[in-house]
Amino acid sequence: MKSDNDYGFLCPPSKEEQEQEPVYRAPSFYNPLHTFHLPAGQGRHYKQQYGDMYFLRLAKLKPSVEQVATDAWDGLIIAGEKVRRVDRVLDVRQGELCWVAGTVYMDLPMKPNILDDLTKENFTSAPPPRRTYTDPLDPSLTQIMLEDESGRLRLTGNFLRTTQLATGAIIAALGTENANGDFEVIDIKLPDLAPQPQRWEGTSQNGPSTEKQSGKIAFVSGLGITGTSSDTLTLELLTDYLLGYTGFSGHDENSPSTSSSKITRLIIAGNSLGASVTTEAASAGSDKAAIAKKAMPKKYGYDASAYNASPITQLDNFLAEILPSIPVTLMPGDKDPANFSLPQQGIHRAMFPQARAYSAPPPRGEDKPEAGWFDSVTNPWEGDVEGWRVWGCSGQNVDDVLRYLNFESTELSLEGDTDDSESRVRVMEAMLRWRCGVPTAPDTIWSYPFQMDDPFVLQTCPHIFFAGNQPQFRTATIQGDVPLRLDGDTDMMDAKDNYDGSRVRLLAIPKFNETGELILVDTETLEVEVVKFGVFKGREEQK
Amino acid sequence: MDSKLYLAENVLNERHAVTYRSLSRALKVPANRAKQVLFEFHRNENAKKPQTVHATYVISGIQKAPEPAPTNGHANDEDEIMQSSPDLPSSMPNQDASSYSTRIASIILAREEDLEDAKSTFQSISTIHVYSIEPTPLPDLNVLVDVSREIATKYAQEDPLECGKQWGMIQNRNVKRRTGTRPPPPPAAKAQAPAAKAPRPSIESTVPAKRPLQKEVDPAKVETKTDDPNSQPSTSANSQSSSKSAAKAAPAKKGSLFSSFAKAKPKQKTAAPAELSTEDVVLDDASEEEPEELFPDSGDKAAAANRESRKEREEKLKKMMDDDEADDEEMPDADEEPSREPTPIEQPPLSKPVELKEEVTVQGGRRRGKRQVMKKKTVKDEEGYLVTREEASWESFSEDEPAPKKKPAVNVPKGKAGKAGQGQGNIMSFFGKK
Repeated sequence: MKSDNDYGFLCPPSKEEQEQEPVYRAPSFYNPLHTFHLPAGQGRHYKQQYGDMYFLRLAKLKPSVEQVATDAWDGLIIAGEKVRRVDRVLDVRQGELCWVAGTVYMDLPMKPNILDDLTKENFTSAPPPRRTYTDPLDPSLTQIMLEDESGRLRLTGNFLRTTQLATGAIIAALGTENANGDFEVIDIKLPDLAPQPQRWEGTSQNGPSTEKQSGKIAFVSGLGITGTSSDTLTLELLTDYLLGYTGFSGHDENSPSTSSSKITRLIIAGNSLGASVTTEAASAGSDKAAIAKKAMPKKYGYDASAYNASPITQLDNFLAEILPSIPVTLMPGDKDPANFSLPQQGIHRAMFPQARAYSAPPPRGEDKPEAGWFDSVTNPWEGDVEGWRVWGCSGQNVDDVLRYLNFESTELSLEGDTDDSESRVRVMEAMLRWRCGVPTAPDTIWSYPFQMDDPFVLQTCPHIFFAGNQPQFRTATIQGDVPLRLDGDTDMMDAKDNYDGSRVRLLAIPKFNETGELILVDTETLEVEVVKFGVFKGREEQK
Repeated sequence: MDSKLYLAENVLNERHAVTYRSLSRALKVPANRAKQVLFEFHRNENAKKPQTVHATYVISGIQKAPEPAPTNGHANDEDEIMQSSPDLPSSMPNQDASSYSTRIASIILAREEDLEDAKSTFQSISTIHVYSIEPTPLPDLNVLVDVSREIATKYAQEDPLECGKQWGMIQNRNVKRRTGTRPPPPPAAKAQAPAAKAPRPSIESTVPAKRPLQKEVDPAKVETKTDDPNSQPSTSANSQSSSKSAAKAAPAKKGSLFSSFAKAKPKQKTAAPAELSTEDVVLDDASEEEPEELFPDSGDKAAAANRESRKEREEKLKKMMDDDEADDEEMPDADEEPSREPTPIEQPPLSKPVELKEEVTVQGGRRRGKRQVMKKKTVKDEEGYLVTREEASWESFSEDEPAPKKKPAVNVPKGKAGKAGQGQGNIMSFFGKK
């Protein structure tokens, strides 16, 4: 007990009431973009065909990928044959070495098929989530095709085994058509990172670039509030920390410098509510048909007396408690009370009778909605925080792309490790290089049928790219391409220090209700820290 | 000392758990001081008699990794430069470093008994403080959640923007909060939530009385209320515009429905507030206007002040309840708002002002009311003349009906009908009585 006084608070209060200097939180510079804002009411139509989205995506990304491919392959001579560029998929001639750009389409054995659903007449319920669409026992059932507005071309070749692709990605493939009419791929190119804006470029105000005050952006996801008391103790600790009641004193040199007053904004990336509010369909189950049937009466036979408002009330309390001190950006997730198809629109503020006092007033007329102190945004969401461009999703995009890939069957089984968090970060990287944040929408992720624009295409490369509700925290940094890419890691490592090109911080944000982790990103260096909240379980096992 | 008294009462007598935050709220001291107060109390009481109070602690610092990883530490560079390759390479050279090199700070809650064990899991400890003290060891720490939920309900009236400083909360200069009425206090407790329906009507029925400013508003002047900032403090521009548009729309309806509300001049004391507040209930879904004025938060204060008048009213209401049913099926109409346009012609012809009463109650969230209106009765007297008299009678109205309006057209046809129908007077008087 001798050292207890060192910890500051294990001592009697001093006699004189010392006036505490109020701590002020650093200001937050925030400019949400309304990329994923759907028109309200009459303006929202669901009658369009989804084909437009693929068309738009291809039209947007084809020039980029063709540019990359031209740079790499123009004038290339392989085995005495000059590589030729082909404009349309159907123009590929047998035996001719050429490259062509198009959209990847993958046909997987376990992929949910709307036509199957129609024949079974159970299309009213969401297809139950599967762990993977691939069949690990028979990889040959997976077919990868390249399509554009003219037609489809089946891709084949050993190269594809080492490559991970997903439906919706735009690529350029180099190869030749074989006797079967399949396209033997020997190399592919991706659009790669979109042009990245400079910091502060997106905002009108030029930020406090003069004062080099480093702050933190806090990310959390999967609060999973179910309204029972069991899940909220860590949430209380989180609240205390964010409000500055608990924290790190910082007079020990080992202690983290993480004062919560530096946190300028909290971003909640989906699934703030636990599963009990919505139907149980989202829980991973084995017997899909049974679940689908069970979910049906629950969803439509809505009973006001059976509805438990407690989770949303607790979430409202949590928000109302922290909002006086910290601005919050709230994204919905697949378990939150918002629409299910991407882009999910923000949770309506009527759900938050207390917290909505901090939200922006409803937009009037043609005015652009202003950013509220409490901002209930879309999922996916894009915006400028502290000058950095942030692009994030509540995790559906990563989860779904992962189902296309067979990481499990390849390297992870070698490690004897069931955790796929590594693959998740890699999927995130791939999305950036595909320039498509949600490539598998509208194929296997429900999506709004966009007609004029495909907002899932990443027009600009973000500085922070996050995905919520991942099983484990992971982070990585990726860099854009140096103008002339050299295949070799050593160059990249050398270039790291004085590299000034695109650089993206990837964040896989864990579920708070499982890990108790809050992710802090430094606003100057984009370094990441984790604060973990928990209850010590020491003696509980003995009972 | 005040704090000791508070703790002795709550922990020792009431046997509640007290967290540093609930103490901080109760005593209005900064959280950090509350932590020390708790510590002192815990030490003193246990010195007098061991095991009287138990404590839980919050330890913050850096925990040891569960299984020591070689790369664990404070490596500043957690950047992992992923191999820059276009196509998801199946091997990532630096992947091992990425997950462990990120600094993980921990904030852990532990019981008194577990404190040493918990401390031993830390590699370095930044702070330890008392989180709560309670009379007995807690079998389940989740009990503490209830304490903090209690805070939320008990101190809901305290504005965190004003009081946050004294609790030691991190302040923010840029908070944007919409003005208007405070949000409603959260439901007192989970258990009471189902019962919340029942008390609500009585709370709402005090609404008219709670607006002293509006008591004096003369009905004749009410039409200017959108310009009068006092009459409805939280009227947003939205409702202004919608009420204006409603005023425009109203004349079209004049002839039909309200012609029977002839010469209503509601009693000044209660009528005007009631009419105004009917407007609060109109929920304009289309414009997403939020009905924040709907639940003013001052239930307690106002209820106490107006208990008397409320009782009176409730008694009266009981008497008239049976007439009320007719209106139950009416649907609220988003566009319709009370718009009163008294014009000189509408003034009652009788020079003697008639006092009319009005009662408002709420059933199932809808506003119902009764008001006394003057109705004309035309009867034939003994000598065969038609005599038109005004009589006070009660009629019910609902939230969405505009206040009674008088049409210039009303009197004229009636008078004519009376004259023309000399021969058939009986039938006319029959309809007139309705």
